[in-house]
Amino acid sequence: MICLEAGRLLDAFVDNELEPADAANLQAHLASCAACRQLLADRESLGRLVRHLPYYPASDRLRAKILRISTRPRFDPSLLAWAAVLALAVALGGSVEIVRFARARHGAETTAAVADEVVGDHVRALRDAHLFDVRSSDQHTVKPWFLGKVDFSPPVEDLSSIGFPLMGGRLDHVAGQPVAALVYQRRLHPINVYIWPAVDRTAASDTRSIRGFQVRHWIRNGMSFWAVSDLNDAELGELVRALQR
Amino acid sequence: MPHQTFEEVVLPHLDAAFNYARWLTKSDADAEDVVQDAYVRALRFFSSLRGDDARSWLFTIVRNTWYGRFTRAAGPNQPTVYDDVKHDRPDDGLDPEALVMQQQAVERVQRAVQELPTDFREMIVLRELEGLSYKQIAVVVGIPIGTVMSRLARARERLQAILTPSAPPKGTQS
Repeated sequence: MICLEAGRLLDAFVDNELEPADAANLQAHLASCAACRQLLADRESLGRLVRHLPYYPASDRLRAKILRISTRPRFDPSLLAWAAVLALAVALGGSVEIVRFARARHGAETTAAVADEVVGDHVRALRDAHLFDVRSSDQHTVKPWFLGKVDFSPPVEDLSSIGFPLMGGRLDHVAGQPVAALVYQRRLHPINVYIWPAVDRTAASDTRSIRGFQVRHWIRNGMSFWAVSDLNDAELGELVRALQR
Repeated sequence: MPHQTFEEVVLPHLDAAFNYARWLTKSDADAEDVVQDAYVRALRFFSSLRGDDARSWLFTIVRNTWYGRFTRAAGPNQPTVYDDVKHDRPDDGLDPEALVMQQQAVERVQRAVQELPTDFREMIVLRELEGLSYKQIAVVVGIPIGTVMSRLARARERLQAILTPSAPPKGTQS
């Protein structure tokens, strides 16, 4: 092992993040290289220094606020109204309908929240020019790239034949969970297609416009799809239909 | 995550969320705003939490909230170009560990970390203060594990250079 390689592995070694074989190789190198031993000693003393950094705990005021946020639904007066409606419905024998309606209402709120998230992410990815972790128009390159990065296998298809070339993909996060993001393009308009395993497989498809971006949502084969672009809705619809085929 | 409530799962990580936000924003008021928004979002998305790593999940939300809020107007956060000249040089010849004894030294480390570019600063905070694994950091920051490794190494090199500018350059023998 040369010093250059040792230097590359040093931090992971200090952090106990090296594979055993790499760690053994590095240790063998350290035994014979005083310069790298010095680097290791420097890193270790830096580590001890850094652990004295202040840790900022949340103030009691913030804690009280957060507690109010997280317990708010319990005191939501509308719950009382819902309970009354529910009781009435059960009395009338319509409980199934009401439960379905309540679920749909909750689903609609979640859909709106996720739509906001994906648009925000689309804007961020464009602004930071970080659209690609893997840049390729070859579906057989893009699909395997996600292996080991997400715990599902997103369907990846190049659609150049109908004027939506696949540009690449990246690992992203929506609603706090890792998702696969595929990037297609039409003319100068990039299209992000977000894919993750659907939680509610019966959720309805959705079309909306947020801050000038077109958003389409659908569920297919147990996967939740969200397409976002500044492309007009008719053309985005073409892509969506192709992906649903 | 059946039968476990938001309060049981997410609330215990409030201090960690605040610490992370505080180091990202460098301001108590901004950190409180970020954490508050993040908890509102976390509550909304609680049903989507899979697995049991609620802390990393919450960190991801804190980071996204901060990112959306504080980089919107200004564009992507500009890495601070560190200028050695304007910073105090540590006393020559003092072993960094001996310096720990002095409050002054801790303040110097704190200042040095504050002035790291955000990308580097959060690496130090997530690894050294929160003790996240490389894999967890990769999830929170949204980068591959290999990048976590190299970015963390660069962050520490930078920090070391700030703290001991008189130290000889690192070995280049091969």
